[in-house]
Amino acid sequence: MKAKRRVVTSADRTTARSKRTPTVRRQKSAIVSGSPAATRAAPVTPPGSRRAGDGPGPGLGADASAVDLTVDLAPAHGGLRLANPILVASGTFGYGIEYGDVVDVARLGAICCKGTTLKPRIGNVPPRVTETPGGMLNSIGLQNPGVDAVVEKYAPLWQAWRTPVLVNVAGESIADYVEVVRRLDGVPGIAGIELNISCPNVGKGGIQFAIDADAAGAVTAAVRRATDLPLLVKLSPNVADVRPIARAIADAGADALTAVNTLSGIAVAVDRRRPLLGNVFGGVSGPAIKPIALRVVYEVCQVVDIPVVGIGGITSLDDVLDYLAVGAVAVQVGTAVFADPTLPARLVDELALAAAHAGHSSYRSFIGTALPRKPAAGSAKGVEYRP
Amino acid sequence: MRLVAAELVDSREILPGQWLQSFHAPALASGSRAGQFVHVRAGDWSGLILRRPFSFNTVDAATGIITIHFRTVGRGTDWFTRLRAGDTIDMLGPLGRPFEVDSRSRHLLLVAGGLGIAGVRMLADEAVRDGRQVVLLFGAANARDVYPSSLLPDEVEYVVATDDGSLGHHGFVTELVPAYEAWADQAFACGPGPMLRALATLAAGRRGRLGVARLGRKRGAGKVDPPGSPHARRKAFLQVSMEQNMGCAVGACLGCVVMSTGGTPQRVCREGPVFASEEIAWEAGW
Ligand SMILES: Cc1cc2nc3c(=O)[nH]c(=O)nc-3n(C[C@H](O)[C@H](O)[C@H](O)COP(=O)(O)OP(=O)(O)OC[C@H]3O[C@@H](n4cnc5c(N)ncnc54)[C@H](O)[C@@H]3O)c2cc1C
Ligand SMILES: Cc1cc2nc3c(=O)[nH]c(=O)nc-3n(C[C@H](O)[C@H](O)[C@H](O)COP(=O)(O)O)c2cc1C
Ligand code: FES
Repeated sequence: MKAKRRVVTSADRTTARSKRTPTVRRQKSAIVSGSPAATRAAPVTPPGSRRAGDGPGPGLGADASAVDLTVDLAPAHGGLRLANPILVASGTFGYGIEYGDVVDVARLGAICCKGTTLKPRIGNVPPRVTETPGGMLNSIGLQNPGVDAVVEKYAPLWQAWRTPVLVNVAGESIADYVEVVRRLDGVPGIAGIELNISCPNVGKGGIQFAIDADAAGAVTAAVRRATDLPLLVKLSPNVADVRPIARAIADAGADALTAVNTLSGIAVAVDRRRPLLGNVFGGVSGPAIKPIALRVVYEVCQVVDIPVVGIGGITSLDDVLDYLAVGAVAVQVGTAVFADPTLPARLVDELALAAAHAGHSSYRSFIGTALPRKPAAGSAKGVEYRP
Repeated sequence: MRLVAAELVDSREILPGQWLQSFHAPALASGSRAGQFVHVRAGDWSGLILRRPFSFNTVDAATGIITIHFRTVGRGTDWFTRLRAGDTIDMLGPLGRPFEVDSRSRHLLLVAGGLGIAGVRMLADEAVRDGRQVVLLFGAANARDVYPSSLLPDEVEYVVATDDGSLGHHGFVTELVPAYEAWADQAFACGPGPMLRALATLAAGRRGRLGVARLGRKRGAGKVDPPGSPHARRKAFLQVSMEQNMGCAVGACLGCVVMSTGGTPQRVCREGPVFASEEIAWEAGW
C-alpha cells in the first residue's frame, strides 16, 4: 500500500508492517481472539530497515513508556489535557459505549461523540452509508436524541471515565448552537465542545457556517461567550480557501481547530435509476480523502497559532506521522475504526515506540517537521498551486 | 461481541454464484443464536474499507465451525470467494438480536426468499434440536437457484416455489403461506424487501382470518412490551430479518436504520436484524 517509510519501529514490525502483509494467511495457526493484528503472519523485514533493538542507533535503549504523549488542546483557556494525541472522530464512535469490550476506551486520547442538536433528530432516509473507492459515503443526517437526553443518559457514564469526552455540537442557527452549549456547560463528564459547523445556517439562507468566514467567526464568538468549556471548531474541506475561515474562528476565541469534516459527494444506485443515498448527498471519508485533509491541515497550521487536530483517512502510524509533520498536534481516527476498532489504541503504542526509537522524549518532536521553515508570505500562492 | 480470527476450512460454490464457507471460530460457534450475524473484514490489500455483514448460516459448538452462505454481488463478496483453506480473516460477532421462539410454539413456519435462506437456516437447526416441527417455504427465480435439500436437516418439511415454475409451485413463495398460517404457531422470514412486506400484510390479517386467541394471552395479559424487547418479538406471529447497508455494525454510526411504526429509527445492527413484523413501518414514514 505505502511505499514510503520514515520511521521504522518494532511496532512497524508487528503491526504497521502488516499493512502490506495480507490479513489472510496461507499458513495455519492457532485461532485467537483479540486484536487481529496479533494473529497476522510474521512479516518479513525489508532490506535496509532497522529492527527495534538491532544494532546501535538513536533509539538504542529507548523506552516507549517514558515518551511523553500528553497534549493540551486548549492551552490558552483552562486547558484540555489529553493522555495522548489519538482521538476517535465524531459519528464513528457513537457515545463511546457501543464497542463494548472490543475497545478499551481508557486508552484513547479523547472521544468525540455523535453530533448533538437541541432537539432530537430522526436523521435521513436510508440507505445512509455505502462504500466508495478507498472510502465511504455517509448521510446520517445528524440523527441524535437531543442535548438533554445526551446529558441525562451519557454524561454520568463519561464522568466515571478518565478519557475526556468532547461533545460534537450541531445546529441550524447561532441561537441553536448557543443553547446546546449552555446546556452542556458545567455538566460533569463533559470535557469540551467540538463545534460541527458544516450545517446549513437557516438564518443565512441555508449556507453552511463552515464555508463563510463571517458566519464561522460569529458562531464561534457566540459559543465562546456562552461557555468556559474547551472549544474546538471543526473545519469543512468543501471550501475554496480554508485559511480566512480558520483565521476568523481562531480570532473569535476557539481553543483549537479540528480538520476536516467529510467531503461532499454522491453515489449512484446499482440500477442507475437514482442516487444511492436516501438523502442523495453524503460525506466522503476514509483513506481517499487523506491528501485533501492533509493539505487543509498544512494550510491552516500556517495561519493560526492555536492547536490543530488532523482528521481524514488515518489507517496507520504513517498517516498519524504525516499529520503531525504538517503541524497537527493530535489526530482523530474515524472511518478506519469500522474496519479495525482496535486501531486507535494500537496507534498510541506505535506512536510512543516511534518517538522512542527516534530518540525523542516527546512525540511533539514529530510536529511541524514538514512545514515551510518561514511562514509562507500571505501571497496568492495558495491559489496558484491549486489546479 | 468479540473480534475473532476465523480460519477458512472449506469454501464451495453450492449454486451458481452462491458460496458456502466454513470457518473455524470456536468463540463464535458457541453462544451465537439464529438471526445473529458477523461483520467480516476483507484483507488490507483488498482495497475494501468497510466490513461486510453475513448471517450465521450454521454453527457447530462441538467442532467450533461456523458457516456463512452468500451470493457474489459486488467487490466484497467476490473478494471472499478467493479465500483458500487456511486463510484467516477477522470477524466481529456475534452481532444483533436473534429470533425469539416462544417456548410453547410447536410449529414453526420459515419463509426464505433467495439468499434469505442464509438468514433462517440456523433457526431450522435450533428448532429441530428443540423438538419443534419446521416447514421451510423457499422461493427463487428458477430451479437453478433452489437451495439443495441435502443441506437441510431431514426433519424439515421443504416446500419450493419458483417464479418461472421450473420447480415446485409456479409463483411467489408468499402464495404458499396461507396454506400454513393456521398450522404455524410462529413464522420467521428473511428475503427481499417486497417479500417481507407482503408477509407482514398477511400476518397482520391472520388473526382476523383465523379468529385465534393472541399468543401469550395467559402470561401477562394486557401488559405492553416495549418495542424491540425480546418479549415483543417472541409474542409476534411473524419475525423478519432485515437488511441495511452498514458501517460499524455495533450501533455506533446510525448508518443502518429502518423506520419503526413508533416513528423512531431502529438500528438493524443493534435493535435488529430481527424485528417483529409489526414493529416495522413498511411504507417508510420519514
Ligand atoms: C444483517 C445482515 C446479514 C446479511 N447476511 C447475508 C448472508 O447471509 N448472505 C448474503 O449473501 N448476504 C447477506 N447480507 C447482505 C450482504 O451483506 C451484502 O450482499 C454484501 O455486503 C455485499 O457486499 P459487496 O461488496 O459484494 O457488494 P457491493 O454492492 O459492492 O457493496 C457496496 C456496499 O454496500 C453494502 N451492501 C450492498 N448490498 C447490501 C445488502 N444487501 N445488505 C447490506 N449491505 C449491502 C456493502 O456492504 C458495501 O458496503 C446480509 C446483510 C445484513 C445487513
Ligand atoms: C458515519 C459517519 C458519521 C459522522 N458523523 C459526524 C458528526 O455527527 N459530526 C461531525 O462533526 N463529523 C461527523 N463525521 C465526520 C468524521 O468525524 C470525520 O471528520 C470524517 O469521517 C473524516 O475522518 P475519517 O476519514 O478518518 O473518517 C462522520 C463520519 C462518518 C463516517
Ligand atoms: S451499522 Fe453502525 S449503527 Fe448499525
